Amino acid sequence: MSRLSTQALTLAYEDRTVVEELDLAVPDGEVTVIVGPNACGKSTTLRALGRLLKPKSGSVLLDGAELAKLPTKRIAQQIGLLPQTPVAPEAITVADLVSRGRQPHQHWWQQWSDEDERAVSEAMARTDVADLAERSVDELSGGQRQRVWIAMALAQETELLLLDEPTTYLDISHQVEVLDLVRQLNHDKGRTVVVVLHDLNQAARYADHLVAMKAGRVVAAGPPSEVVTASLVREVFGLDCVIVPDPVTGSPLVVPGAPWKAA
Amino acid sequence: MSTVKDRVPASVAVRPAGYSVLRAGHARFLVHRRAVAVASVLLVLLAASCVAYLCVGEAFVSPAEVVKVLLGRSSPDELVVEELRLPRLVVGLLVGLAFGVAGALIQTVARNPLASPDVIGISQGASALTVASMTLGITSYSVLPYLSVAGGLLAAALVYLFAWRGGLHATRFVLIGIGFAIALRSITTLFMTKGDYLVAQQAQIWMTGSLNGRGWPEAEVLAPILLVLVPALAWAARAQRTVSLDDDTATALGVRLGRVRLGLVALGVVLAAVATGAAGPVDFVALLAPQIARRMTRTAQIPLLSSALTGAVIVVLADLLARRLFSPTELPVGVLTAAVGAPYLIWLIIRSRSVGGTS
Amino acid sequence: MPTAAPASTAHRTFAVRRLALTGAALVALLLAVLLSLAVGARPIAPSAVIDALFNGGHSDAAEVVRELRVPRTMIGLMVGAALALAGTALQGITRNPIADPGILGISQGASVAVVIAIAYAGIHTLTGYVWFAFAGAGIASVAVYAIASSGRGGATPVKLALGGAAINALLVSVTMAVLTTKASALDEFRFWQVGSIAGRGSDVVGQVWPFLLVGVVLVFSVARGLDALALGEDVAKGLGQRVATVRIVGGVGATVLTGVGVAAAGPIAFIGLAVPHIARAVVGSDHRWVLPMAALIGPVMLLVSDVIGRVVFPPSEVPAGVMTALIGVPFLVALVRRKTVAA
Repeated sequence: MSRLSTQALTLAYEDRTVVEELDLAVPDGEVTVIVGPNACGKSTTLRALGRLLKPKSGSVLLDGAELAKLPTKRIAQQIGLLPQTPVAPEAITVADLVSRGRQPHQHWWQQWSDEDERAVSEAMARTDVADLAERSVDELSGGQRQRVWIAMALAQETELLLLDEPTTYLDISHQVEVLDLVRQLNHDKGRTVVVVLHDLNQAARYADHLVAMKAGRVVAAGPPSEVVTASLVREVFGLDCVIVPDPVTGSPLVVPGAPWKAA
Repeated sequence: MSTVKDRVPASVAVRPAGYSVLRAGHARFLVHRRAVAVASVLLVLLAASCVAYLCVGEAFVSPAEVVKVLLGRSSPDELVVEELRLPRLVVGLLVGLAFGVAGALIQTVARNPLASPDVIGISQGASALTVASMTLGITSYSVLPYLSVAGGLLAAALVYLFAWRGGLHATRFVLIGIGFAIALRSITTLFMTKGDYLVAQQAQIWMTGSLNGRGWPEAEVLAPILLVLVPALAWAARAQRTVSLDDDTATALGVRLGRVRLGLVALGVVLAAVATGAAGPVDFVALLAPQIARRMTRTAQIPLLSSALTGAVIVVLADLLARRLFSPTELPVGVLTAAVGAPYLIWLIIRSRSVGGTS
Repeated sequence: MPTAAPASTAHRTFAVRRLALTGAALVALLLAVLLSLAVGARPIAPSAVIDALFNGGHSDAAEVVRELRVPRTMIGLMVGAALALAGTALQGITRNPIADPGILGISQGASVAVVIAIAYAGIHTLTGYVWFAFAGAGIASVAVYAIASSGRGGATPVKLALGGAAINALLVSVTMAVLTTKASALDEFRFWQVGSIAGRGSDVVGQVWPFLLVGVVLVFSVARGLDALALGEDVAKGLGQRVATVRIVGGVGATVLTGVGVAAAGPIAFIGLAVPHIARAVVGSDHRWVLPMAALIGPVMLLVSDVIGRVVFPPSEVPAGVMTALIGVPFLVALVRRKTVAA
């Protein structure tokens, strides 16, 4: 089953078409990872799934209804989205920013409920930013800031969560933590998560469902063990490589060809 | 999941830092503690300024007598306080509140601390239509205020219309606003140089913003409009929390940015236009008050209530000075609003401990 | 490197395109100059203009061209270029697309000084105003920079912009206070305030040209620094730019140029704001191209506006300060709507 899907979706910035006739179904309760080379339209697709970009033609469907026709607040109660480069208002504190993720669940006469408090506390604890609560976002490191933004998206507590390159700016241990967090959310709460990643190995390791895109089209989709092959990597990334089983997880591991060496 | 630390969700109450929750029946409101404290201080300051305003004048009235009059008791100074000073004070107060809020709203939408009704063309629209009418021989004070409101609204509508292109881009909005402001100012100047000297002088005073001769008639128009808009301001204060984020994040949180921005701008424009109609385009209040207020409350968005109160304090104090500084000559209040507000903003910038500090 | 060839070809075509556009702007400027010399209450044929310029002659037409229109056109050229460059530099330094000499209080500094000159120093000639305008612009910008650079974090763009706005507000009220208390000054000042390039003699040209030269050199010397600043302060430092030096040198340059503009023609509002945007729309964001382009477009706009101002309501003239805005605004609006605006 799939709550979120696209039908013949064509996306464009001004006159430049980026994604063409895309049919994509996001499997419920699974972690879907979209990979592809730079400028293949993966982030653009994610923006459309989160109604940040209006389709030029075709549509994005949420529970069978066209996303463009749904009230945006109702979408926000179902779909949470973390953009690639969010900008925080200056001098805002961490807890203040995270708590703004509760906006879709609030009304002007109900600006803060116990439910809000629980969701924000939990999101901050899960992303390990509770100690930073009173700090100003301006003065955090890149990695801390990224975790704060993820906390904000988590606090939104949506069934579907879209993350655009959430591991940028993070060191390797925090990258692993964020991606583990994604799997944990998926496991504990049955959340459906769509993540755009550029690291193919991370994608293969963490995805239930892998979508490989090139030049605005889906080249392959399915479980990583079926999708990630040497011929696909050559086709999508133009890279010669060897695929070996990951010694820890058994998922496919891409090992690029020998490095350049002086002859 | 071997690498995941088992994180027990913290049991400590995490709410937006610096905020308290105000409960009223089932309703709950988030209140920024420092903003409340600042607003309270401003309120006291405003009250003190108002009393001072009523005391000081050609004849000094003691604060005790002023309070007596305000409480409705009879006093020998009743006439001076109630008939001469109070009406003008009320207009100044309302104009200050309106400009303060208008500036806060427009700076929020524009995401630019330099934006304000006197930068994006509202004041210039009001001036252009008013001065044009003056040179064409319409000088009745019963018509001019309405013309200036119409001019302000018209200019804002034009700016919005031209700036809209599948959405309202903050920079585009401000740039087009400034363009219109400059063009309208040129038209005003043109009319002033074409008109005769007396009209030019009258227009100059009107354009500076003056409370001289203003009283109950203006207050009776202003007060109900401000009152009607108070619920809208409650909405605006909440909307600010998301509009101050970037466009993508705000949209992801379910905000209809186009409509919310239109709503905030419209509110700001109406307030600015109405205030301009009452007192002329009192310069810089809308620019200075929100920046001063935000630096005092240290909130992430511009605080509406504190901006309004700051605006009122600036106008009341400025008019007090305008009446007395070169007495018996009266200055237009607009001459002194900047003199009252700007040094304080400069001091706040110099003293600022945070790096920068934007809109 | 096989990939380098297409890249450098693309680069070359881009450079050629920019050269062509700059050439076109230069031609436009020559036309504007010719128009400015030929058109007026007494139209003079272009051939007669050229004749008067190069072959002398003592006909009435030749006298008009040499005594009235040449100085006026020179002033238009200098002021247009000066204000456009000042605006470009200030927008780059503050990284605020609406910064210009007017909004940052520099023009206002000059205005205050001129008002004081009229009201209290008894100076009533344009050549007398010049020095006051320079001094005022200088003092105002020093004040703005002093405010912005004190406190923590140094002179950040926001602090510069806000400090400028605050100083501007303060100076406006000083101007207003003088004008409302000294009624006689208003009558003289209101005509200066409009901004005009008419009635300036060659003596004014002689007074300001050294300053124009200094300002141009200063602003051009920080062109690369402004490019780096556009990428943010950290990146600029990483690229080896001394950020504070760029800001100060660029700021001094912009101040001197504003002084030139205001001293010679009064506060002409529109050019400093709009021309940088137009120039960027034409040649991109590289300041080594934007600055020359702005220096060409600024005078074109000012001269064309001035020419139109001479002929729309004969026999009286509409001052250039008014005309520039009326003609320039539709341009700006169209441009801002077409392009995604770079901040």
